[in-house]
Parts: sequence; C-alpha cells; structure tokens
Amino acid sequence: MQQISLKINGRKYDLLVGDHEMLSHVIREKAGLTGTKVGCEQGSCGACTVLVNDKAVLSCITPAMRCDNAEITTIEALSQNGRLHLLQEKFVEKGAVQCGFCTPGMVMTALSLSKTLISKEGIPGLIHQIREGLSGNLCRCTGYKKVIEAVAEYVMESSAIKFPEKESDGVKPALRGAVGTRRPYIEAEKKVRGAAEYADDIVSKNQLHCKFLRSTYSHARIEGIDIQEALALPGVHYIATGKELPVKFGVLPVSQDETAMAVDKVRYIGEIVAAVAADSEETAAAACKLIKVKYAPVKAFLTIDDSLNDAGMDEKIHDYGKFNNNIHKKAELRFGDQLQGLRDADLTSKMFFEFDGVNHGFTEPHAATASWDENGLTITTATQVPHYLHRALARVLEVPLSRVRVIKPYLGGGFGGKSDPFPHEIIVAHIARKTGRPVRVRLNREEVFLTNHGRHPSRMTVELGISNDGILKVLDADIAIDGGAYGSFGVVTSYYNGVLLQAPYKLDNFGFRTYRVYTNKPQCGAMRGHGAVNSRFAVESLIDDLASRIHMDPCDMRMKNFLDSDTLTVGHYRITSNGSRESLEKVMEQSQWKNRFGKMQMGRGLGVACGFFISGSALPIIWNDLPQSVVHLKLDFDGRVLVTSGSSDIGQGSDTMLAIIISEVLGIGMDKIFVLAADTLLTPVDFGSYSSRVTFMAGNAAKDAAENLKTEIVNALIRRHDLSSEEFNFYDDRVFSNDRAIDLSWMEVVDLLTSNRGAVCVSGKYISPKLGGDFKGAGAGLSPSYSFGACVAEVEVDLETGYVKVLDIWGAHDCGKALNPLAVEGQLEGSWHMGTGQAISEQMKYHKGLLFNNNFLDYKIPTSLDTPEIHANIIETIDPEGPFGAKEAGEGAIHPVIPAIANAVFNAVGVRITRLPINAEDILTKMKEHKSAEKKNGV
Amino acid sequence: MTSPKTYIKAASVTQAISCATGHTGNFRYLAGGTDVMVNKFQGNDEASLLIDISEISDLKGIAINDSFVRIGALTSLEELIVHPLVTRYFPVMAEAAKSVASPIIRKTATLGGNLLCENRCSFYNQSEWWRDAAGHCLKCDGPICLATGGNKNCFSKFVSDTAVALIGLNASIEVADNDGVVVIPLEIIYTGDGINPRRLSKTAIINAILLPLGEDCRTIYKKLRKRETLDFTSLTSAVSFHNDGRIRIVLGGVHAQPVIVDGSVTDDLPYLISRAVSTTRIVDNDTYSRTYRKEMVGVFLNRSFKELQLI
Repeated sequence: MQQISLKINGRKYDLLVGDHEMLSHVIREKAGLTGTKVGCEQGSCGACTVLVNDKAVLSCITPAMRCDNAEITTIEALSQNGRLHLLQEKFVEKGAVQCGFCTPGMVMTALSLSKTLISKEGIPGLIHQIREGLSGNLCRCTGYKKVIEAVAEYVMESSAIKFPEKESDGVKPALRGAVGTRRPYIEAEKKVRGAAEYADDIVSKNQLHCKFLRSTYSHARIEGIDIQEALALPGVHYIATGKELPVKFGVLPVSQDETAMAVDKVRYIGEIVAAVAADSEETAAAACKLIKVKYAPVKAFLTIDDSLNDAGMDEKIHDYGKFNNNIHKKAELRFGDQLQGLRDADLTSKMFFEFDGVNHGFTEPHAATASWDENGLTITTATQVPHYLHRALARVLEVPLSRVRVIKPYLGGGFGGKSDPFPHEIIVAHIARKTGRPVRVRLNREEVFLTNHGRHPSRMTVELGISNDGILKVLDADIAIDGGAYGSFGVVTSYYNGVLLQAPYKLDNFGFRTYRVYTNKPQCGAMRGHGAVNSRFAVESLIDDLASRIHMDPCDMRMKNFLDSDTLTVGHYRITSNGSRESLEKVMEQSQWKNRFGKMQMGRGLGVACGFFISGSALPIIWNDLPQSVVHLKLDFDGRVLVTSGSSDIGQGSDTMLAIIISEVLGIGMDKIFVLAADTLLTPVDFGSYSSRVTFMAGNAAKDAAENLKTEIVNALIRRHDLSSEEFNFYDDRVFSNDRAIDLSWMEVVDLLTSNRGAVCVSGKYISPKLGGDFKGAGAGLSPSYSFGACVAEVEVDLETGYVKVLDIWGAHDCGKALNPLAVEGQLEGSWHMGTGQAISEQMKYHKGLLFNNNFLDYKIPTSLDTPEIHANIIETIDPEGPFGAKEAGEGAIHPVIPAIANAVFNAVGVRITRLPINAEDILTKMKEHKSAEKKNGV
Repeated sequence: MTSPKTYIKAASVTQAISCATGHTGNFRYLAGGTDVMVNKFQGNDEASLLIDISEISDLKGIAINDSFVRIGALTSLEELIVHPLVTRYFPVMAEAAKSVASPIIRKTATLGGNLLCENRCSFYNQSEWWRDAAGHCLKCDGPICLATGGNKNCFSKFVSDTAVALIGLNASIEVADNDGVVVIPLEIIYTGDGINPRRLSKTAIINAILLPLGEDCRTIYKKLRKRETLDFTSLTSAVSFHNDGRIRIVLGGVHAQPVIVDGSVTDDLPYLISRAVSTTRIVDNDTYSRTYRKEMVGVFLNRSFKELQLI
C-alpha cells in the first residue's frame, strides 16, 4: 500500500492504494465514482475508459500507482452545471444509449477520438474514422450504428472541420409523450452522465464481499470439503457449502434440478462448490484457494451423442428419468400428413446442420447485493425476471413469499442471459442471513461465461419438400440440442426449436422431434430469438437451396408461400396482423435485389431470409391465474402519475414504453409521469422481460390502467357538472368536452379528482386470450400476436482465404406499431449486430468440458469495424390486440439475419453453409470440393 | 508465501536496471502494460515487483540521422502510426502498428512492449483457475504441452506484429543492461523456445529501435485474425523485396519465434514459399485450425509476391 494523490475531475484525492491495484478499482471503490464501468477486467471491452492527463486509457489495466499526481477525467466530469456535454447530448438524442453500461466508456473514447479526427473524404471518411476509433469499445445493444451517428454529429457540430450540411431528418425529441414519436429513453441522461446505478455500483454499509470456489471437474462426486484453513484466514466471515442450501430450483416448474451450490456432486467445470464471504474481494478469493475439495471423478458426458446413448454402467448426470440415458426432454409434434406431403413434393432438400453454442455477451457482468432486516430479505440484482427470482428465493431459503423483496436496478443488457434465478443470487441472500450483514457479489467475465444459459449448441436434420412451382409441401425437422448440466428454460427451448417453424410460411404437413440432452457443461437456456434461431437458419437455407434448384428467385418463392393475415397455422397459432410481404418487399427494394441478385461477380453475393416471433408467451411459466401483467397508477395532488410495474427494463426501453402509453392515453406530458418498475415489494407482478412480452403485455396493462384512470376522471367530471354522460377529450395537458363547454387544465382536473378523496389509485392488467389447440404441446409458442420480418445481406468472400466480410444488412421488421421508433430501430440494429456475430465469429469452444474462450478477447463479438452497414426499416401493420397496435421488436429480428448472411455466401461462392459460425476453412474446403466435382462433371 | 506486491516508478534507465538487479523476487518492467497487466490478471505473470519505466524520457521520441531512424522504445503504437518519419520512410511499420490490438490499447501500448509481448497459446492465456482445471502446461510449469500432448516443446505463438515488420526492415535494437548499451539485430533476441521466448537478460531494457535508412525495399504486410481489430495474430507476414533482388519473408504467429526466410528474386518463388511453410511450427493452439493456418501461409506469401509484382 502506498499513498498517492489523484486529481479526479478537478478534485484532489489522497488515497491509500495497493501497489498492484487497478485505476478502475480506485475510481469506483475508493473515489466512489461508479460511472466508470468494468466489463472484462482485461482491456477488451472498453467500458472502463477514462482520461488520464487527457489521454484515453483502459482503467482496468492501468495500475493506479502510475497515476500518482495525474489528472483523471471520468464520465462524471463531462456535464457541467447541470448541462450535458454536447457529445452526451448527441448520445441521448440519437438513441445511442440503450442499456447504458458501455456508454460511459464509449463517450470517453469518443471524446478523445474527436480531437484526433482529420478531415478527409468528407462524411464517409469521418464515419470510417469513427468506426475505426471506437473499435476497442464493445457494445452489445446498439449495433454501433446510433453511437457512430451521435459521434459524427457531435464532431460536425463542434469541430472546426467543415463538413457539407447534412440533411436534417427533422426529428427532435418531442417534449410531450406520444405514440410514434422518436424519443430517447427517459433515463438516457442519467445513463450518459454515468449516474445510473447498476447492481455492482451499489455499496452497502458494513458489506461483505463474496467469492466462489468453482469445480475443476466436469462430473465428479464430492467426497469431502475442508474449509478449516480458509475459515482461519483473517477477514473471512462465512463459508457456505452446498449442503446448507439443498432445496432445488429452476425457472421452469418442470425443471427444478439445480441447487445453489453442488451438493453431492459437480456436473460441470465451473459449478459453484463453496462460497466465501470476507471483508474484501481479495481476501475472499484468497480463502477460496485454501478450501480443499476431494473429488471422485465419474465419466463425463460431453457430447450430444454421448448423452443420447444408453449410459451403461456409468452414472447419469441426473438421477431421474425413466431411461438409462441423459436425455432431458423429448418434444415431438406432427401436423397434417408428412408422408403424403413427401409424396406430393416434386423436389425435396434434406440437410444436416450443426451450431455451436453462443453467449449473450451482455456488457454488464452479473452482480447482486443482499441484506436482511425486519422486513426479511432485500436483494438488488441484475435480473430480467424479478418475479421468478422472488419465487426461487422464497423456495430455496424456505421463507414465505412475503419475506422476499427483489429490486432490479439499472441493468446492463440481458438478451435472455439474466432471465433465470441464479445460484449467486441465492448464495448471497443465504450468507447475508447467516452473517447479518449485507453481502455483495460480482462475477468476473470468465464466471459470466461459465454461468452461461446461452443458446444451445444444436444439430438437426431438416427436410423440406416443394412442388415444381415452389409451393412448400412438407417440412420435417429432427433436432438434438445440448442443454448442459441443468434444465433452465430447456423444455421450452426444445419445443420452440420445432413449433416456431410453422410460420411465416403456409405449411400443411409439418412435424418435428427434438431431444434436449444433459451434458457436463455449463447450462444453456434462453437467448434472444429463443429456441428457433438455429432451426430457422436450417429452413431458410433449405428454401434457398430449393429455389436455386428450380431456378426461382428465392424472394419470389417466399412471397408465394407467406401466410396471410388473420389466419391459423397448421399448429393452431392465431395469426393476426402479418407484415411478411411488406417486409420482404421493403428489403428487396432497398437492396435493389431484382437488379443485382445473380448478377454479381464471383465472391460477392446477396442472400435473403425471413422470420417471425412471438409477442410474449400466452401461457405463464408457473401455472396460475395471475394476469401476465399488472400496472398500477397513482395520481396525487401534484398532478404526477406514478406508474408502478413489475416489468424489467433491461436496456430495451420498457420503462419509457410504459410512460409513452400513459402519456398518450391521458394526453399529458412525459414530465408528469414517473415510472417505478421492477421492485417486487412496490410494484405489482409482471412476469418479466423474456419471450418479447413486455411491450405487448405490460404495454396493454398500462393502457388498461390509464383508461381506468380516465374513467375515474370522466366520472368525477360527470358528477361535478351533473352531466348524464359526456365524451371527454384528453389532449395537450387538458381535458375538454367536444363542445369545449368544459375545458380544464390537467391541474384543474387533478384538483377535482382528488378533492375529498386524495390520491387516486387504479390498476390495469393484461390477460392473454385463450388460444391454441387441445393437443399436448399445443401451448408452446402460443402468443396473442406474432412479429414478422425479412433481411437481405450482402457479403464479400475472399476466394483464397475464405474470409467472409458482411457488407450490408437491409432489414425490415413488422412490429405492429412503433410506439417509439427510435427504440425499435435500436432493437433491430442490435439484433442484426448480434446475428452477425453468431453468423461469422461467435462460438463457445470447449476443451474436455472446459470452456476455452471465456473472455471478450477470445469470444469474438463483432466490433464496430466488423459490424456491417445496417439499414433498419420499421413495418407497421397495427395489430388488433397490441397496445396501439404494437407487437414485439426485441428478438424476432435476429431470426432472418443469420440465414440471410449464409445464403449470401452461397450466392457469392456457391458454398452452402450448414455449420455456424461460418468458418473460413469450411468455405475453402467446400469450394475445392465444388471445383473438383465440376471438373469431374466436365463443367 | 508470495512476496509482497510492490511498485516502483523509475526515473531513468539506470535506476530501473539497478532496481531490478537488486530485487530478489520476480519483477516485471512495465512500459504500456497492456500485455503485462492482463497476464497478471490471469495469474500468468506472478511478478511481485512492477518497475514502471513509462515515464523515462530517454526512451521516448523519434529522431533521424544520416543512416537510421531511431524510435524510442516507449513510443506508443498510436504515435507510430501517424509519425511523419515513420509514414514517410517505413509505411509498413505504421501498417503493422495499426494492426495491433484496438485503437484504445494502441494509445498506451508501446513499440518496445510489443516486441516483448509474451507468447500466446489457447491453453496458456487462461485464468489460474482454468489452468488448474485443465492441468498445467509446459509454459506454466506443467509436465506436458496441452496443445500437442508432447513433453518437450512449448509451441506458444510469437505474436508481435511490429517485430515481423521490423525484422523485414532489418531493424536493430539498442539494449541497456548492467554492463552498458549494445546494439543488436532485433531477430536474435527470439529463442524459439515457447517457455522462454526471449534471449534478453531479465534486467535488460530496450532503449530504442533503429531502422536503417537506404534499404531500398518495398514490403507487403498481412495479418490473419477473425475480427478487424482487437485480436492477436493467427498469422502475420511481411515480405520485403529489395532493389538488389533480395527477398526477405518474415512470419509471426506460426512458431515460438518469428520465422525468417531469406531468398532472392532469382529463386524459385513457390520453392521459397514451401521453405517458409516448412519452417513454421504450427499447432492447434489458436482460434484457427493448424491446417488452415498452414494453408494461409502459402496464400499470404503468394499474394504478397503478386502485390510485389514478382509473379
């Protein structure tokens, strides 16, 4: 320890720091400036960027000692006298802030970059320099597009460099909330100032820090755990092991198969075996190393085949199940007559596909703090599903539901990866109870990867048959997915892999079978586009193959087969609004498909694909009669409407969505609306942020609540003015009758409503209509509404290296109605970025059950330089049941982009991609095979 | 018990060296630190003493005289990319520097540091916990190489992109140590042993990189990586063609040391390529497979010759 002096944001700090302590740690933990984020701890993500003597540095790999007497500028210093820096303003205005976790680092890098940009080649040159300059800062939400726009506008407006006038898009954020207005998130300013508190930013008095000892074996019996030496380490307060928390949990009632820590045996390398709570993280980590665990390894099942087969004399991963294998779930459904369909088909295509697992890659690592008081447990944690965590905590800790409070602070991205109850959440709650002190935990990036719950590695054989004129006759899918060690959402995933193939095309004869197996690897679960991303890839590839074989334009073939609006699918999905055609037309036009497809030089190609997705699952995960969403409104004397909702804003903008809906219905400005969400004590139950349900379900509940408040107001007016009944208009902060005989300001209305009554509280809810067939499995994929979309991708393939460069993505997505077009675009651009990653570079690689690439250097999320030009188009079809016609926009868009890229590769070099990620080596091999086959055939 | 963690900021090269010489435990010089700190985070670098040399002014600056350009070892990769002397006389140097890591890392990472960047391997660049789980490899005091199963050789990859370009330019380095300052050709400091990849004494410091002027040559530089930024190399090549007909091929990422193949324009170029390929020692310790990287050596060299208009 040495004393150093730092001048942070103009203020002098004399601090005692560790000789090898990182600057990020000092800034966050000692100076308390938590705007600087830590996402990877090894300089790969850029979230920790600060300026040291005006130079941008990665504070997570900068020793604090180096900065003695230096001037340090963090995000907190940028806004002055309550005003945002122009660059921050641009981030807000352009919608460059979603989850906001990468934002502070991104802003600091951009600020430093903006000083070095040189004027050349006009705006395209500028954009390229920005793209390049930001390429060390990872963002998982935005696809970088809006970030680059924000920086470019800042540079153009602030610098001496003169750029040609940019055509104004004429949209400034409106002051009033209204459906359809482009609007930054309500909390965007707080995020861009670095003031928004994420789970790891919350410090509690007298807190303990928790670290985990993780298994180094894939599959082993635990024969003994010796914690004595660790316990004796000064500063260690508690060590928990599995036997203390034997109650099993899991997000699905049918898969309660996980314990907070391994009890008798470990099932994957990385599973938590013991947890230490100590005065500091370092002490806790040191103590973990002193714990001795005696393992007796048993055979590990690491591949799908291993787990499908009879386990013989070997110990199964889980005891239960009728058969002596490691199959977790078999899902099978058949519709129509597949055999007849095959007979009717003039041409079939059958292929085998393989997909590596992928991880969500959210920038904020998991973190939580738990404490107990007279009210029981309070846990503040990065979760997408406060409600299900609430239930799991009560269950495992064996306390009544009424003694658990889950609070979700600002959350740095989820994408499905924070939608299960997690062991670390349960463990810190447990230790907090045992020690009587708040316990805090944050996972490092490696632990985030080990926690996983990402997309299942899958393989499938899929067959599609068509008539000579390109009409789909039959589809069959035989699928196996690798679930890892526990159930998670896997049963749903198993069904989704199959059932979500029954649209967007009309199919009369369709069936699938999915096996989900347990393996001794980190568990898989839900990830953006849940369950159907890989099987969608297979189907769209087969369509492309068949279209090419019958010499039909693949767009035309899709057009011929689209389902209509207001129809039923073969598996009894009720399709209401359907913008498939409009979506495909839009991307064809924008990519100049008809002029260019099939007319490009070797190595360059265009590809197309379509998709659809649910707008929330119509059925709850836990079978009961609670509405899917409830929203409460409270209107008090001050004229402000307090919106409380259990829905979880994970950076997708759902808090803003709620405010927009209330604003629209009540005709009042956003300044009169306050959203309080995701606190299971204060907010009514909402099932959470998964299955793209929030806009549709919580949005409808908010609309219902606002209409109920409206009724209260109208009734009060009727009573006061002694009217029989009257129609009132709510607009522009006024309430008035059609003849304007009654015309009141909002505050006058509030006075009237609250007189002799006080604050008025109303409730709104959403309950999905009864849907679906009466067969087993009919509930899977049922949704009150479905989104539709299409993508065209353009790629360039290097003929000698096989390297694929995705140049452009033109995408269109039918979201029913864009309540906030800026946010919808952000979701689409983010989806297409993430899809590009799964297509070209992302994969979870294992070495004997041990994850190889558990960091942001080796797990290859596309940077700003690797992300193509994205052209987002919103298609509006006004869904009859969505709030103001809205449907989902957060997940469905990822479906078409991946096969569009692969189909573009086929168009470019004639190689059919059947394995993801697309691998340069595979392309070369197949090109050679192709060539030698051509030679053989004398072509 | 491990020795206590300490940190010293050295004011001069002499002070740094004497500090290092007097230290009994493990120490590490810290220039930019972008490689060292990550290795420390992962527990690969166990140095208890960090000697920060980043503020030594003698190690900074780029100067020119009649016969060479002298680049201070602490020159950041970012400075290198835009420096007029570099872009004018050694554009390939700027190109190589720009291909290293990400722009934000290049602001801190130094040229000297990049030359001494630790060798890498998928089985080695992992956390301490990971390596415990996998079983320690040769490079972390274990009994076998996890990439090959062998017990003799460590195949960790040499990954300095700037060194590949510099060796192509016949660069020398000025090295200070207890016994004074020497100038040596850059390439001789690399041993080819993955465990101890550099021949420099532990206390030595690279003062500067000397690039000879008047080498009338053109160099084609290429780097294989999955992403267009951030990633370490899977294969780096620099092919220099001198006016007098000499050809020098330098490869990185395919051996524990840079692979150097000298030839001439009169040689059979396909033979030169096959010689280069056979000199590599590529194993499966990278994001790309061994076979693919091997194939790419040929592709890169062939392309470079084409761009040099030699074929």
